[in-house]
Order: sequence, then structure tokens, then C-alpha cells
Amino acid sequence: MDWDIQTLTKVSAFAGAGMCMGFGAIGAAIGEGMTAAQANEAVSRSPEQSGDIFKCMLVGQAVAESASIFALVVAMILLFTNFSPSYIMVAVLLSSGLSMGLGAIGSGVGSGFPAGAACIGMARQPAMSGRLMTNMLIGSAVCQTPAIFALVTSFILIFTDFSSYPLSPTWAAILGAGLSAGLAAIGPGIGGGLVAQTSCLGIARQPKMVTPVTNLMLLGQAVSQTTAIYGLLISFILMFKSFPASAEWAPAAALLAAGLCMGIGAIGPGIGEGMAAQKAVDGVARNSEAIGDLTRIMLVGQAVAESTGIYSLVIALVLIFVV
Amino acid sequence: MEPLRQTEKKYCSLALTTAIVVGFIFILAAQKALAKGLILGTLFSIFNFILIGETLPRRIASSSSKKSCFLALGSIFFRYTLMAVPVVTAIRSENYNLWTAIAGIFMVQLMILADHLRDYFFSTDSTRKDALWKN
Repeated sequence: MDWDIQTLTKVSAFAGAGMCMGFGAIGAAIGEGMTAAQANEAVSRSPEQSGDIFKCMLVGQAVAESASIFALVVAMILLFTNFSPSYIMVAVLLSSGLSMGLGAIGSGVGSGFPAGAACIGMARQPAMSGRLMTNMLIGSAVCQTPAIFALVTSFILIFTDFSSYPLSPTWAAILGAGLSAGLAAIGPGIGGGLVAQTSCLGIARQPKMVTPVTNLMLLGQAVSQTTAIYGLLISFILMFKSFPASAEWAPAAALLAAGLCMGIGAIGPGIGEGMAAQKAVDGVARNSEAIGDLTRIMLVGQAVAESTGIYSLVIALVLIFVV
Repeated sequence: MEPLRQTEKKYCSLALTTAIVVGFIFILAAQKALAKGLILGTLFSIFNFILIGETLPRRIASSSSKKSCFLALGSIFFRYTLMAVPVVTAIRSENYNLWTAIAGIFMVQLMILADHLRDYFFSTDSTRKDALWKN
């Protein structure tokens, strides 16, 4: 078997497409499964509401599936486009597949939480069906944001001409960029879903609190998405900063490590901040008078949970600019 | 399953109307490939949504768990293959724009979101608006 550069480019396009769709299917499948499970629970609790519950499940699953459709689009582009053969292109194709595949996991899982909770909410509080559906859709749409960041990174990688850049350390920067955006999307996607799930249950529990619950959900989700933004930031720096050519391994390893550091470091804070906001939203639905304290505690808790993400950001920046 | 059918009808017709109107604007601006890509993507988005809706009760009401599992898996494989068609067509043919084809395959989801956001922001329900201002 000959391994010329053309073959290698094709192999990396196929591998990138496989990883993209393979990883990308994980989250949406789990999310849709959770939605269906909760819908079953809701129908068993309130069979007379089955029509509305099915409708909510249909719409919720359609939205939860978006992240995996992003992955499908990127995989198809990787499979059916003729890329100019080069060693940098090998890194580009693998990185774009990894970015979108990993980036779709969190959003797929996260979107399933509010969809399932809205089904349960409809069984508990049929009069709030319309508002539950709206809240679920807003929550699910925000959950898709990290996957959109990963999609943007994938597209930039595929459609930017890196041929004028030196092979080393650019290959590592490109791989780091994909890993940073993809991995950093996992936590915030799940965290955002946890907040939206509780807000749907909260609205069903206390319909009068619908506006503050939705507003707090949006605030909580916005803060939990920040580590995905750090991932995107590091990814952009790695893609667009020009690095001097180097025959040594160390600079390349530093750039790859920067992407990994930010990507992995963003997973925990995204989920942790989502948990903090989840309980605050739950608290507001139970005790509306404590909204001020609950919001304050949520923001302080999220800021503390965020600090580990900031450490990762700092180390990634040090690896890029100092080492 | 009347509510399901109504939901399918509502969002599919909204998606198709939007694609046709936007496509017509593209054609007027002499951007035929953009229009074709958008309409192609939207058509497949509609097929996908209808398939989710039509297989949903069958999956749940199926007599055996084996049949239900087969239906669910088969539906996923079939739908994903279906969604790949407009993307591959747009990549292979210059008559269809890739970007608008990609936008088209999310048209139903966009319509669902737009419909609910419109209700959320521009609802004429005075009680809801009062609650919004009070809170």
C-alpha cells in the first residue's frame, strides 16, 4: 500500500468525516432518548394529555437533532469535496471533523433535558402547555450555541487556505484549534440543558413565576456558555496567528497542548455552572421572594466554578504566546 | 394523533412558504443557485420532520419492543441518509448553492423557533404582558 500525499489527504478526510458523524451522533441520540423516556413517563401520568405531549416530544426531538445534523453536514463536506493534497490539509480535515463531532455531544445531550422536562411539565400543568413549549424551545436553542461555535470553527478550517503557512508548527495549531472548540462545547451544552430542564419543571410547578424563571434561565445559560467562548477564542488565535517555522517538536507540542488545555478545561465549568443555575431557577420557582438572594448566590457560585476555566485559558495563552 | 398532524402541517407549510418567498427574491436578484439550494434543503427538512412525526406513534404503539427498536433505528438511518442528499447534491452540482442548501435543511427548526419567539415577544395576551412588566 502506497502512502502518497493524495492518499493521505483522502484518508484524513474519511477519518475526519467518520469521527465527526460518530461523535456527533452520541449527544443527539442520548438527548432524544431522554426526551422519549420522559414523554413516556408523562403519558403514563396523564394519558389524556398524550396529544400535546407527543407534539412537544416531536418538536423537542427535532431541535435536539440539530447538533447531529451540523455534524452530518460537515461529514458530507469532508467526504464529497476534492481537497488539494498537502500535509497541512491532512491536519485541517482531521481537526474540522473532530471539532464538529466533539462539539455536537454536549448540545445534543443538553437539548434533550428541557424537551423531556417540558413533556413532564405538560402532564402536571396542562394549562401551561404553550408557555412550556416556548420555554423549552428557547432553552434548547441556547443549548445549540456551543455546537454552532464548533460548526463555525469547522467551516473556517475547511474553507481557509493554510497552504502558505509553514507545515510545522501550523499542523499542531490547526489540530489544537479543532480540539479546543470541540471539547469546550461539551460542558456548556450539557450545563445549559440542565438549567433549561429545571426552568420547564419550575414553570409547571409555579405557573405565576413564568417570566422570572425564563429570565433567570437565560442568565444562567449565558454564564454557563462562557467557557465555550474561551474555547472558541483559543481556537481563533490558533487558526489566525502566524507562527514562525520550526523544525523542533516543542513549539508544535505547546500549540497542541494549548488547544487540549482549553478544550478539556472548559468541560467541568460548563457543567458546574449549569448545576449552580439549575438550583437557582428551581429555588425561584419554589420561593419567588428569595429571587434576589438566589440570583446573587447563583452568580457568585458560577464565578467560582468559572475560575478553573479561566486557569485553563491562562495556561493556554501562556502555551501559545510565552512558551 | 391529530395534534401531531396539525403541528406537521403548520411548520412544514411555514417552512415551504418562507423558502419559496426567499427563493423568489434570490431569483429576482439573478441568484438562481442560491434559490435552488434553499428550496432543495427545505424540501428535505420537511421530509425529515414529517418522517419523525409519522414514525413517532408507530414507534410507541408498536406491539413488540423488537419491532419498535427496529422502527426507531431504521427511521434514524433513513432520515440521516435523506438529510445527506441535499448536501451531497449541492457539493456535486454547481446549480445548487451549498450554503443555502445547509440553511434549508434547518428551515423547519428555524420556523418552530421563530413561531414561538414571536409568541414570546409579541404576544397580545394582556395577562402575560402584565406579568412580564411586573416581574
